[in-house]
Amino acid sequence: MLGVAIAAAMLLDMVMLATGMRESFRRLLVSRGFELRLAPKGTLPFDTDATIPGVAAITSIMRSNPDIREISPVLGASIHIPVGNRDVSGSVLGVDPSVQGDYELLSGRDPLSADAIVVNDYLLQQLGARVGDTLSVATGYDPQTRTYSGRRTLVITGRVRFIYGANEQSSAAMRRETLEAMRGGDMRDRASLFMVRVREGADAERVRDWIETQIPNVTAISIATAIAQVDARLSYFRQLAVILGAVSLFVGFLLVTTLVTVSVNERAGEIAVMRAIGVSKAHVVQQIVLEGVAISFAGAVLGLGLGLVTARYLNTILSAFPGLPMAIDFFLFQPKAAWSALALLIVSGIGAGVYPAWRAASLPIAESLRREAIA
Amino acid sequence: MTQSIVSLRDVRRDYALGAERVHALQGVTLDVERGDYVAIVGPSGCGKSTLLNLIGVIDHPTSGTVEIAGKRVDAMTDREATSFRLHNIGFVFQRFYLMPILSALENVALPMAEAKVQRQERQERAAKLLAYVGLANRERHRPSELSGGEQQRVAIARALANGPSLLLADEPTGELDARTGAEIISLFQRLNGDGTTILVVTHDEDLASAARRKIHMRDGRVVDGA
Amino acid sequence: MLVFVLASSLLLQGTSPPPQAPPGRLRTIAIDEAFAARANLKPGDTVTVSSRADTVASARGAGGRAPGPDAERVIIGAIVRRGADPSEVARGDLRVRMHLDQLQHVSGYGDRVDRFAIATGPSTDIDGTIERINRPAFGFKAYRSRDIAVETSRTFQVVSRFHRAIGVITIVASSVFLLCIMVLKVEERRRDIAALRLMGISRSSVVRSIIIESALVAVLGSLLGVVLGWAASLLVNSHYQAVYSTPLEFSIVTTPVVAFAVSLSLLLGIGAGLLASLRLVRTPPLELFGR
Repeated sequence: MLGVAIAAAMLLDMVMLATGMRESFRRLLVSRGFELRLAPKGTLPFDTDATIPGVAAITSIMRSNPDIREISPVLGASIHIPVGNRDVSGSVLGVDPSVQGDYELLSGRDPLSADAIVVNDYLLQQLGARVGDTLSVATGYDPQTRTYSGRRTLVITGRVRFIYGANEQSSAAMRRETLEAMRGGDMRDRASLFMVRVREGADAERVRDWIETQIPNVTAISIATAIAQVDARLSYFRQLAVILGAVSLFVGFLLVTTLVTVSVNERAGEIAVMRAIGVSKAHVVQQIVLEGVAISFAGAVLGLGLGLVTARYLNTILSAFPGLPMAIDFFLFQPKAAWSALALLIVSGIGAGVYPAWRAASLPIAESLRREAIA
Repeated sequence: MTQSIVSLRDVRRDYALGAERVHALQGVTLDVERGDYVAIVGPSGCGKSTLLNLIGVIDHPTSGTVEIAGKRVDAMTDREATSFRLHNIGFVFQRFYLMPILSALENVALPMAEAKVQRQERQERAAKLLAYVGLANRERHRPSELSGGEQQRVAIARALANGPSLLLADEPTGELDARTGAEIISLFQRLNGDGTTILVVTHDEDLASAARRKIHMRDGRVVDGA
Repeated sequence: MLVFVLASSLLLQGTSPPPQAPPGRLRTIAIDEAFAARANLKPGDTVTVSSRADTVASARGAGGRAPGPDAERVIIGAIVRRGADPSEVARGDLRVRMHLDQLQHVSGYGDRVDRFAIATGPSTDIDGTIERINRPAFGFKAYRSRDIAVETSRTFQVVSRFHRAIGVITIVASSVFLLCIMVLKVEERRRDIAALRLMGISRSSVVRSIIIESALVAVLGSLLGVVLGWAASLLVNSHYQAVYSTPLEFSIVTTPVVAFAVSLSLLLGIGAGLLASLRLVRTPPLELFGR
């Protein structure tokens, strides 16, 4: 039973791995309702330091499409904040607080004024600061001259959770205009990313195609495309999941076959007598197969708990992937996954029981009885 | 003229044992009348159990004909043989072979369930049969909770479940002590007195003596009593 | 498409740019296999390279627009195979090698680079060299290549840890399976064991014979397993190398790995046989017969 439970646990884990990343990522992307993302041509959002020029012009072009409801330009940069005799560095997003989709406000207020900044818990911890504190924030570091392009005094107005934030990442957000001003000339009217929300009922893919035609220096990515691209990057894990899942299923199958075969061999006499008193071959097989199914089912139930524990452990390992949003789970429990695993096990249990059962039920009755008598 | 319920004509049964060919039965011809109580006796390896298996349609003769209750059974298909056994023949074995996870009542009801008898009816009939064999108060007990004699009585009740024309027993007292064996012997006599045709294979002298007719076998042949 | 430059090893000399090609003669670039396959390019093809999407046009021989100021017409000079870098696997990047001044011109980077890669002599004091560079360094810092590699290989480290975890789980699971099956198989022969005991054969003799048998089965099984594992490793490598267009070896069967696997399976097989046989010899023989 333990052996079958372990096979069931591994199978569940692999089914969760095969489907989890994609579903988890999809949930993350749809969480704020922005169906499209625009990145510099040929890149994925925040994959490089490249930026898109002409924010005002692009926004104007997009507003001309009635299917586009909201446009949220985002500018990314690095910041440095002196604390004592050291510098705490992190990443900052310049956003329009009224349409942003990058963070969730946990306490306090959005950065509505030009001197406001919101930060995540990790950065707060690094700074030893609280909401309401004042920070001296610098950005645009030039390693040649070892100077910053801009430094401002900002007030922490809120505590936030960055939806796409990775583990242990210091992150903040401020108004885009503030960040542009701090960065100076080279970042004026530029964005790292546009998030676009389409009108309800509009075809996001059509809007995507329209954008790419109208604005040739961007790559427009729909949720489906983003998922497909991340899928391709993490395809290795899906393939691994399929292989290990298949192996687990096979081993479980072997185990159940062995259990049933041994059980049937032990009961050869009993089976011969059942046939002798008139029980049909089909019923004998049915009985034995049901036993195989029962073992698989019991193993699956036991394996469910074991599988969830193992999945959590493995997920913790994979969550350390650099740059991966904290919200992504590799192993996501979905009831569908559990049902799939159970169904696979039951089917394999049936298969595992059929052959030894049929063999046992087909043995010549007289010979079995004679063997039993001798034994 | 009484009707033969069992009729064998020149029946032979050979089978391979390693490289050798064993002639378990060599041209057996015999009849058993309805209501008879026959004991088949002989030394080990004389073919008694083989003969019983052929009559019980759990084996096929190499040649010759076997007729049970007026039906040719020697060339039946597996499905036909199974169905025939279910409705016409009751088996009792030396080792009882009760289903360990079923109660006494459920063991007796098993052949009736296979014959698609309704639940209510089969429970009533099973209870009646257990009462007949003297185990009315042991219905709910599992085989592990019954003595050897009690288990054999449950096995006999099971054999009678579908009202068979013929009751076959292979060494029914083989695993029992003398006192318990005697109880089984007297049960068989009662059954026969109530009209059941019984064929029993045995080494037990007492059991053989209780039968109305003895068939002696040696080296695959009937030497006396055919 | 991202255009990278891989700076080949430069000795730290002056900063004078290498000579340009004579006017009218196109210079060459090299592309990787994936790029060649994706864009259907071969050596001798002429393309335009630009950092601006709106000026890129591919021209083969005659035809094609004249390149803009930040673009250059070049000839595909070679198709190169990428190194086995695990951090690049599955990224799907396409790589181009250009002359440094070409890329500086095309990208508008001017007289700048991302980094210098420095090869030192065999007896060079590396730490001393790093310190000498960093002291007057203005706008850059020197590192050992090894230290950079550790920093950038976090992805690979995560994958390694994951593999190790899966490996441990697989070993534990396999051990349980093996134990289960051994116990079942030995149980199957309990009547034989009972008969031996009734004959007067001692417990230790019975246990010893079962252990020897288990050990033999374990050795044969593990040898078969090694062969299967080696074949599977070949399959895994050929599959993933094709999928990700990389010479990286995903699975390597080494002597220590084989030795570990065989030793472990032997240990488990003997252990399982021991456990199962001890269980049986402790049971009275008649009970084993079911009496």
